[in-house]
Amino acid sequence: MEYLATIGVLIAIYVILSSSYDLIIGYGGLSTVAHPIFFAIGAYTAGLLAIHSSLPAPLNVILGGMAAMVASVLLAASALRVSGDYLLIASLGFQLGLLQLIKNLDFTGGPGGLTAIPGTVTGAARTPFFLVVSGLLAVATVLGIRAIVTGPYGRAITAMRDEELAFTALGRDATSMKIVIFAIGCGIAGTAGGVYAYYFQYISPDQFEVLQSAAILTMVVLGGMGTTFGPVVGAILLLAIPRAITFLNLPPSIMAPTQGIIFTVLVLLFLFLRPAGIVGLSRKTL
Amino acid sequence: MTAVLRTEDLCKRFGGIVVSDSVNLTIDRGEILGLIGPNGAGKTSLFNLISGVLRPDSGSIYLNGEAIDAAALYRRARLGIARTWQNMLLFRTMTVLENLLIAPRSYPGESILRVAFARAAVREAERHARDRAMTTLARMGLEQTASEMVVDLPFGQQKLIGLARTLMNDGPVLLLDEPMAGVEGAAYETMQRVVREEAEAGRAVCVVEHNVSFIRDLCSRAVFMANGKILQDGTVAELIASSALTELYFGV
Ligand SMILES: Nc1ncnc2c1ncn2[C@@H]1O[C@H](COP(=O)(O)OP(=O)(O)OP(=O)(O)O)[C@@H](O)[C@H]1O
Ligand SMILES: [Mg+2]
Repeated sequence: MEYLATIGVLIAIYVILSSSYDLIIGYGGLSTVAHPIFFAIGAYTAGLLAIHSSLPAPLNVILGGMAAMVASVLLAASALRVSGDYLLIASLGFQLGLLQLIKNLDFTGGPGGLTAIPGTVTGAARTPFFLVVSGLLAVATVLGIRAIVTGPYGRAITAMRDEELAFTALGRDATSMKIVIFAIGCGIAGTAGGVYAYYFQYISPDQFEVLQSAAILTMVVLGGMGTTFGPVVGAILLLAIPRAITFLNLPPSIMAPTQGIIFTVLVLLFLFLRPAGIVGLSRKTL
Repeated sequence: MTAVLRTEDLCKRFGGIVVSDSVNLTIDRGEILGLIGPNGAGKTSLFNLISGVLRPDSGSIYLNGEAIDAAALYRRARLGIARTWQNMLLFRTMTVLENLLIAPRSYPGESILRVAFARAAVREAERHARDRAMTTLARMGLEQTASEMVVDLPFGQQKLIGLARTLMNDGPVLLLDEPMAGVEGAAYETMQRVVREEAEAGRAVCVVEHNVSFIRDLCSRAVFMANGKILQDGTVAELIASSALTELYFGV
């Protein structure tokens, strides 16, 4: 039961991560691999505040999200000044550099990470509590992003992605819009990081490696990039199905590779059958 | 009378290619200025310099007497420099109406804060834009295409939508890059009429066009450009009569 609940919390957190990543790359058309580090900024900020301050937990989680948002604005504003393509390089540098820093600083716990983060809620209510909180946050994220990508703002996002030069020449400030989209997506990732830190009470740098963005990207692409529910479906499938076989009680030597194989087969299968993702519309053939 | 738009010694080169060689151009209120010249003459580049897609190496651009050199591309559009594109650059995944709705000089919907906290103002702007868009489409006889995907329309209508989108900007300057290329029949007539109406309404219009009869029908004045240089400025009849230009361009 505890195991299932943990998967539930993980799924909710990855729904938040993949949806916010989709907002940035799928809707915003921005290239970044730094999503794990903004997740980390939120996790470390909330974790450190939980350990060293007496601020209430919800505030710490929000501050974690805001820290990620501020960092993302600084990154995007300086990178986009150079060019849109530069953001990819800058995000890679930021991801690798900051994680390296976290691994080498004392107050972040170095490679060992932060341990003994206060749990806020204890006892039997703890797991259901986090399941509900993370679930509500996931729903709020999906609905919030849905609101952003529809209506007048969503129309602007679509036009910018379709034809940025014409969009800008019509008087639209594409650079500011990109910074805002990036900041919202990264702020959401940071908030998810805060919840993650409080739930697991332990965070370490290896949970936020650059390869995490490949995992999140896979969820987005598999489910359907640039769709509201694609990342949700992708996150659920890629987290739940490989874990489902743990109930078969296979020996670990068979279990681990089997999970890897299932993951890979799943991805390949869907990419062939539905290149636009499970939720994505099948593109009109030209 | 001061020109609505004036360039002063505008220079731009790409490596060895000079696309703009001390260009001095004026466009007056209510006039349709023809800009002609061979392929690669620098006509589109001149539009790019004026609208802010390109930065000149030297020289200045004045809108109603004020220098706009420091203004970025999107700011110049807001100041009222509206342009079309040789290859249209329509928003391909959007409907005709959506293509137009995104295009007014002021679009509060591009600010997430205003969308969230100034809903009434955004709604009002939307309604205003919708009215203007439908009126513009109706002028072109295209109101029934409003909810169609723009890529599903025939080429000539797409060109008209490109113009209609630009006309959502109600500013003083209109730069049209080969509006007639590939356009024939009814769309041709419509294009001609609408461009004329815009000038009559007081806009300063400049048209790049290889179609000489279009230039002859619409423009009282035209400039001839080659290798980034304005070689002649006069009436269309004078330009066509010039033997040097005939050789260079009209290819006779
Ligand atoms: N961004 C750029 N970088 C390098 N060279 C460029 C660039 N833009 C234009 N050129 C070159 O500048 C010259 C002028 O191009 P431009 O598009 O302004 O010509 P044009 O008069 O519009 O021609 P056409 O009638 O074919 O549209 C061409 O030789 C073109 O290759
Ligand atoms: Mg051209």
